[in-house]
Amino acid sequence: MIILTAAPHMAVWGKWLGDALGTNAAGAPAGNAVFGIFLSLLVYLIGQWLFKVGKGFFLFQPLFVGMVLGIFILFLMAKVFGTTTAEFYKSAYKPGGDIIFWFLNPATIAFAIPLYRRNDIVKRFWLEITLSLIIGLVVSLFFIYGAARLLGLNDIGIASMLPQAATTAIAMPIAAATGGNAAITAMACILNAVIIYALGGWLVKFFRLNNDPIGAGLGLGTAGHTVGSAKALQLGSIQESMASIAVVIISIVVDIVVPPFAAFMGLK
Amino acid sequence: MASQDKVPQTETTEEKPSPIIVQMAIFAAVLFVSSLISPLFPPSFPVPTPVIGLIILYFLLASHIVKLRNVEKFGDFMISLIAFLFVPSGIQLAASLDILKAQGIQIVSVVLIATIVMLVVVAYTTAGMIWIRKHVFHRSVDVKS
Repeated sequence: MIILTAAPHMAVWGKWLGDALGTNAAGAPAGNAVFGIFLSLLVYLIGQWLFKVGKGFFLFQPLFVGMVLGIFILFLMAKVFGTTTAEFYKSAYKPGGDIIFWFLNPATIAFAIPLYRRNDIVKRFWLEITLSLIIGLVVSLFFIYGAARLLGLNDIGIASMLPQAATTAIAMPIAAATGGNAAITAMACILNAVIIYALGGWLVKFFRLNNDPIGAGLGLGTAGHTVGSAKALQLGSIQESMASIAVVIISIVVDIVVPPFAAFMGLK
Repeated sequence: MASQDKVPQTETTEEKPSPIIVQMAIFAAVLFVSSLISPLFPPSFPVPTPVIGLIILYFLLASHIVKLRNVEKFGDFMISLIAFLFVPSGIQLAASLDILKAQGIQIVSVVLIATIVMLVVVAYTTAGMIWIRKHVFHRSVDVKS
């Protein structure tokens, strides 16, 4: 209804499209999920295509393209419907987006499988891996907190920055629980991967991280999530195994370390 | 002949992956139990459902209660989709564009610094830990063996 009153000149096709998208009715029925699902698939596939055509240019990573293009399309459509982007996102995209988002739950617990496949390494190095990730994360958190304070982020912004080492499905609820904005955290997780994809190889060389292959792997998995382990594979199989282990273990470490750290720093 | 045929057949049925619907049911069961445990933690120490599910599934696999062939087909499929599944959490930002407008450059700068810091600090910390393992405890650091 909001849309129709905001743009009466488009009443006819506006009502038809509004019904289809579910933006006309509050408490959107299930059929409206179609738009969100379709848009997500569309922008992701465009991203995949661009990545292929652009020969792997770092800004053409499918997920990054999907995010930017999806928001841009919602922004344009909101303009056409004469409503705000946030409002249009909630009524038209979110029902479908939430369905896809739910599947992050089984996908995240599925990471137990690659972890178990490398169980021989996990069993031999579990102490070094967990201690390195805990100490490494605590030290990193002080740097991140300091950088965020220096650049003048408010408490919401800072709390959103702290859990970004975890995989998105785990980082988001932790950000929300410590007073952050889960959407900003999700964007941070996506940017982590974009940055590691673009600069990972150069950073490893510049800081001579590959002198210790185990360390290089754990670092890439922590900073770049699953893209980090793909990057680590270019260095070698030890690095790749370690990165895949780090992606999983760091998420649990973030859950243990970040909430007390946020409380210690007086956030929320 | 008939009995000879039967033997390898029973062996292959044992090795066969579980039907997808069974694999989905195992995931659903793990998620369900996790979602019952998750609210028991206090709000000051949140433990999201996927964290608990991840730990439960790992221990089920490690204790051989659940075998790889019971879960790996569906699990690998879900992992292959993971980048796509992140799209809605990225687009979610559409609801917070005002924050990005106000502090976007600062936030992106912090993310850039954070990524580099996490990579370098974790890598150096690990190198130190491995050095201690090798020189203080004299244990092997050869991953392959």
